[in-house]
Amino acid sequence: MQPFVAKMNRFTLALGVAMAFAAPAVAEDGEYGVLMKTLANPFWGAMAQGVEDGAKEAGVKYFLQAAESDQAAEPQLNLCNTMLERKPVAMITAAINSTNLLPCLKAAQDAGIKVVDLDGNLDQAVLDKEGIKITFRIGSDNVAAGAQGADYLVEKLGKEAKGPVLVIEGLSGNVTGQRRAQGFAARLKELAPGLEVVASLPGDWDRGKAASITNDILTRNPDLVGIFAANDGMALGAVEAVYAAGKGDQVTIIGVDGNSDAVKSIRDGRLNASVAQLPYLVGKQAVENVKKAIAGESVTADIAVPTLVLTKDVLDAGKEPMLQYVK
Amino acid sequence: MTHETAQPGLWARAQRTSVEQLHIRLESFIVLIVLSAIMAVLSPFFLSLSNFLNILLATSTIGVLAIAATYVIGSGGLDLSLGSVMGLSGVAGAYVAVNLGAPSPVGLAACILAGAAAGYVNGQLITRAFVPAFIVTLGMLGLARGLALVISDGRVIYGLPAVMVYVGQGRPLGIPMPVIIFVVTAIFAHCLLAYSKFGRHTMALGDSESAARAAGIRVERHRRILYTLSGALAGLAGMLFMARINSGDPTAGLNYELTAITAAIIGGTNLFGGRGSILGTMIGALIMGVLQNGLNLLAVQSYYQQMAIGAVLILAVFIDQYQVRKESRV
Repeated sequence: MQPFVAKMNRFTLALGVAMAFAAPAVAEDGEYGVLMKTLANPFWGAMAQGVEDGAKEAGVKYFLQAAESDQAAEPQLNLCNTMLERKPVAMITAAINSTNLLPCLKAAQDAGIKVVDLDGNLDQAVLDKEGIKITFRIGSDNVAAGAQGADYLVEKLGKEAKGPVLVIEGLSGNVTGQRRAQGFAARLKELAPGLEVVASLPGDWDRGKAASITNDILTRNPDLVGIFAANDGMALGAVEAVYAAGKGDQVTIIGVDGNSDAVKSIRDGRLNASVAQLPYLVGKQAVENVKKAIAGESVTADIAVPTLVLTKDVLDAGKEPMLQYVK
Repeated sequence: MTHETAQPGLWARAQRTSVEQLHIRLESFIVLIVLSAIMAVLSPFFLSLSNFLNILLATSTIGVLAIAATYVIGSGGLDLSLGSVMGLSGVAGAYVAVNLGAPSPVGLAACILAGAAAGYVNGQLITRAFVPAFIVTLGMLGLARGLALVISDGRVIYGLPAVMVYVGQGRPLGIPMPVIIFVVTAIFAHCLLAYSKFGRHTMALGDSESAARAAGIRVERHRRILYTLSGALAGLAGMLFMARINSGDPTAGLNYELTAITAAIIGGTNLFGGRGSILGTMIGALIMGVLQNGLNLLAVQSYYQQMAIGAVLILAVFIDQYQVRKESRV
């Protein structure tokens, strides 16, 4: 057993050396903590880039962390608690669901840390019950994004157009998908009453499911003129089904997000349009507004970051100034 | 428990009396201490009472699941449904309390009962229908998660009664309730496994099922009890997380079964049964908790954290095997 002791001694020595060399990190004053859902998704990657650039321009320090996946609710809560140990002045958080971060946000508030809802994942009714006051929420306006989809459809088909339209919602019960679908349907009714939403079905954010819904509705309404899907993945599923049925020229298909697959499909002339969110701008403006709030300036409680309709024309022209934020 | 050396030296005797009586291997404890020391040097935020409680709080759910994993794996079985059953239990408790308006104690009991019921089904299928444990619990992994999503309609069920929230958020004497419940459960589970007939039978079963049968242990009945216990512990873990976030989350505990098994293995549980202790498992869970907490404090990306935990698992088993082989060579 002697070698074991010797090994331990050697280990202790190595540890001592390591400790001597390791320069202890010192807490920065006035750091912002940024907590995201995950970075394994281009949407959040673009937002992180926006945070970085925003912080550089505003001259503030921040540390950014994310859970390992957008379903790791408890790991994100534990991560949030750990981030509070660094005593940031603000916590900019994109919660995985409306409740998983509640105890951490409450603790942050008690410690005088400003709490920001990044991308609007928190529920105001829940926050009121828990007694949590957020400084502001920032994100895309999903109702407006849906409405922009309707604007595009009417612009393309004309105000007098008639025909059935299909709406593919997100996961049943998901607020984001609901808002987009509602925004689209309401604006469409207002602009072109002849275009009638004949079905509004949950596609569960699933490309395959969206494709089968499209197939079913095409069977029932062979004269379908438009499809609005609450995200790009489902829109691309609808594209596949529509082209397989040989109705690519007859049906106008619109998605939401502006992700790289959708952009490619639009350039190829298959998907007609995507209402692009600008996560880069969301991240950038979040940091800028936190700086304002800390300086004591007044900040809007609900900051809506604009969305941009991407079409083949817009992409090919490349003149739209906001295109630089589509990542 | 382990191989005796022919002429035990002073060090070996000291090690055996102080450590082996506690049924753990010294190595995992040293790893924990060294890891903590490194984190304390690297991050100025690591060494504080509030951070220590943070680590325990973050370890509480995984720790309870790891206790279940130790019992089941120690007996030569496997429970892959731990994480899903945890999610189902939290949703069941929240549903009973919020949607059905049942009083708090009923809501809390519903969590544990839902977990125990899932475990009971596992046990029945394994011992009476002779479907392998891997398959049964893999099936339960899907069944329980799906059921949780069905009951909750895919949404979190928010707004528990105050008593239930206290179980998750209360801090008597400044100590978070989940930590208290976790530690008490661990002490009880340790004593049961290390000092009772039930515990000895569990390990005997993992060592050799036929020998256990020959010795008169009612093998099937014992396995059914173990799987039910495992489910009930998953229910307890579900209850703790539910109470912490004041809502039943159908996605809670996703992939936790693997983390729980990892904690048990790092803590010295033999993957094929016959050896394991709760104290060792707790050290294993804390190693992972300290690692995660420290890397979080250092703002290391979660991708690297997963790599670090994977490396620690392999390292822990390597050191363990190395010691076992060296001792048997002497």
